[in-house]
Amino acid sequence: MEILSYLLNGFTVALKPMNLMWVTIGGVLGTIVGMLPGLGPATGVAVLLPLTFTMGPEASLITMAGIYYGAMFGGSRSSILINTPGDGAAIAATFDGYPMAQNGRAEAALAMSAIASFIGGILAAIVMVFVAQPVAKFALKFGPAEYFMLMVFALSATASMAKGNLTRGFISMVLGLMIATVGIDAQSGLERFTFGILELQTGIDFLVVIIAVYALGEVFKAFKMIKEGKKKMQTKFGKIWITKEDWKRSKWPILRSAPLGFFIGALPGAGGTMASLIAYNNEKQLSEHSDEFGKGAIEGLAAPESANNAASVGALIPMLTLGIPGSGTTAVMMGALLMLGLQPGPMLFQQHPNLAWGLIASMFIGNMILAIVNIPLAGVLVRVLSIPPKILYPIILGLAFVGTYAISNSIVDFYLLVIFGVMGYFMSKTKIPTAPLILAVIVGNSMEQSFRQALTISNGSYGIFFKSTISIILFILTIVSIMYPFVRDKIKKKKSVAGLNN
Amino acid sequence: MRIKKMVTVVVVVSLALSLVLSGCTQKQASSGGNADYPKRPMEFIAPGGAGGGWDLTIRTVAKVLQDTKLVSVPMPVTNRPGGGGGVNLAYLQEKKGSDSIISVYSPPLILINLNGSTDFSYKDTTPLARLIADYGVFVVAKDSKFQTINDVMEALKKDPKSVKIGGNSSAGSMDHIQFLMMAKAAGVKNLKEIDYVSFQESGASQILGGHIDLFSTGLGEVQGLLESGDLKALAHTAEKRVGTGVVAEIPTVKEQGIDATFVNWRGLFGPPEMPDYAVKYWTDVLAKMVETEEWKEARERNNWDDAYLDADEFKAFLDKTNEDYKGILEEIGMLKK
Repeated sequence: MEILSYLLNGFTVALKPMNLMWVTIGGVLGTIVGMLPGLGPATGVAVLLPLTFTMGPEASLITMAGIYYGAMFGGSRSSILINTPGDGAAIAATFDGYPMAQNGRAEAALAMSAIASFIGGILAAIVMVFVAQPVAKFALKFGPAEYFMLMVFALSATASMAKGNLTRGFISMVLGLMIATVGIDAQSGLERFTFGILELQTGIDFLVVIIAVYALGEVFKAFKMIKEGKKKMQTKFGKIWITKEDWKRSKWPILRSAPLGFFIGALPGAGGTMASLIAYNNEKQLSEHSDEFGKGAIEGLAAPESANNAASVGALIPMLTLGIPGSGTTAVMMGALLMLGLQPGPMLFQQHPNLAWGLIASMFIGNMILAIVNIPLAGVLVRVLSIPPKILYPIILGLAFVGTYAISNSIVDFYLLVIFGVMGYFMSKTKIPTAPLILAVIVGNSMEQSFRQALTISNGSYGIFFKSTISIILFILTIVSIMYPFVRDKIKKKKSVAGLNN
Repeated sequence: MRIKKMVTVVVVVSLALSLVLSGCTQKQASSGGNADYPKRPMEFIAPGGAGGGWDLTIRTVAKVLQDTKLVSVPMPVTNRPGGGGGVNLAYLQEKKGSDSIISVYSPPLILINLNGSTDFSYKDTTPLARLIADYGVFVVAKDSKFQTINDVMEALKKDPKSVKIGGNSSAGSMDHIQFLMMAKAAGVKNLKEIDYVSFQESGASQILGGHIDLFSTGLGEVQGLLESGDLKALAHTAEKRVGTGVVAEIPTVKEQGIDATFVNWRGLFGPPEMPDYAVKYWTDVLAKMVETEEWKEARERNNWDDAYLDADEFKAFLDKTNEDYKGILEEIGMLKK
């Protein structure tokens, strides 16, 4: 039980008053940046970067990690209340969180998202204590071919989510893939669809697309509704808590999604968005209430919330155990560690056990603090629903532009914002789901790159995609995810027919 | 009332954040005087994202200048990422003649011009000083069949498709070019035939997982994995052996009989036509800075080799380097101008 004594040591580090203060500050700051569209954990951590010089390694790592999972708590607040995810990982929270708010259940949605995030985070931290090294080793088995298959699975699962709407889902996905091709192609060094605009060389930031499609799209929609006088406001608010029934339905989805999210988060480059969308789809297929998904099913909110918080914990694994940044946020964190003269890598746990275990211990404490802070905070935030639309939507519009500029201080992003905002509006008018688009924008480029990396490695032979057990399993999952909704319908029909005959 | 208050808080917080994030950029006309220069805050720019190599370098410079009191005006660091540094290069053109902007660059400054990503080149800046150097390193998995860099070159001579080279930069940029320069010097023909696989950030995990044969990267990037023995370094591209510990044990390419080096230099640049008094001031200040204990400590901590050149020497170095890179890019068909 050597591990437990290390962990105990970690707690003595994490429980130092200064570190307790830092984890709280980090968590709250993360919740705030997570809520604001465009400002994600990566920006939050970057803002903190100049301060790390003076903070020392333990405090700065603990604070930055706090921002990271704090943003996972915060990101879904705006998803639920105004259908505008604060970050990619919070997209799945719009699917059922926003309908819940529309049905007058915003309080339960906010409470459930905090509870699910909390459990997801704690479970992931427990898993991390025991299997950080083996998980890191297993993640290395993912070469370009496996990554490609994983992304194909995530995308097709998301695109086929809307039953009977397969075509629309795939239209959305293809649009996203097209957006993802813009920029310099890493394999050839050639520019694609940049039209001579320098800012487009690095590609279109998925955050711009998220803000455009959701925030602007929502503003356009509301604009129409205000005119028609349809938009209703909520004026009475209940307690921020869930019912027994809510818990019964969400318990297993939360517990299942945490390890799933943790593992996907541990894959370098996969991240919280994929984790939460896969978890959502997973639960939709397993659930007895799958018809309610998308209309305000509480487990449809609980599962991705648990998964994305677990993913943010998992994402620390490649950085801590191998010195490889697994996500944009951990890349900035690694930069900060290097500035402090620390070399993240396999030796970190041996050379700086207090730092590594202090961080892990701080995640237990941080998640607890965040759950405690977030429930009363939700009581304040929920009142956003009582702001008259004429005031609320201009504010959202302003935040959308501020958030967009914050991404890379670029004016070009404003044009993109408006273009994609209009596109998002027409998509919702024609009932084309937006989630496949966003996921495609996020993973599209890596998916294509992985595909070509794999083919370069195999000298052009497609056999490489079916060479390992992992990719074959992922391939089967992909087929199942597309076919399952149809098969289940058939079975249901048969059953009901049989029922009638009896 | 409560709502109004909350709304105000949200707006104020977001505005404050956006101010911080945009780094309080200020437009300043260049002042004519020089006796009391610099009077106003400087704008230090990293042409890449927070936490990257450029960012790390310029933040360290700003901190050392501040700690040693060599410069007394504030030097806030702004990140202006995009186009591999090209976005900032275009920005510098807008600030032609300004005395209050300093930016950091490294080999991509030259490469993005040669490969056609941007029309601007190092000639559209004012080089102030070369400060530090990192070197390229070629690493393999611990159980690789390759023991020396020459084994790799021999295999490539027999079959250019037999060794899959990976790196974190795009094709035609640093990780790719540094390997090809060595291969060329080793006498490998058909450089164009050699497969280079670009991984955006996760190249190290690909070599660890055995998905590629050789990983071309920076010496600082894989130190942890070399120390733990998970990866084996075949050679690095410095003139002589560098560093301490495991790094000092890595042989150079040169001592294995291949006559070539590659320096990942980093230096500071002003906008084009930076006024003479400003150039003189910064040349002097940076010459003093590299002699300070604080700077030496920072260099050691980050494993940066000292590579100081003053403004004139740096210009000559850039001219020569430009020609070297040109040769390689031409050979693999990626030269645009």
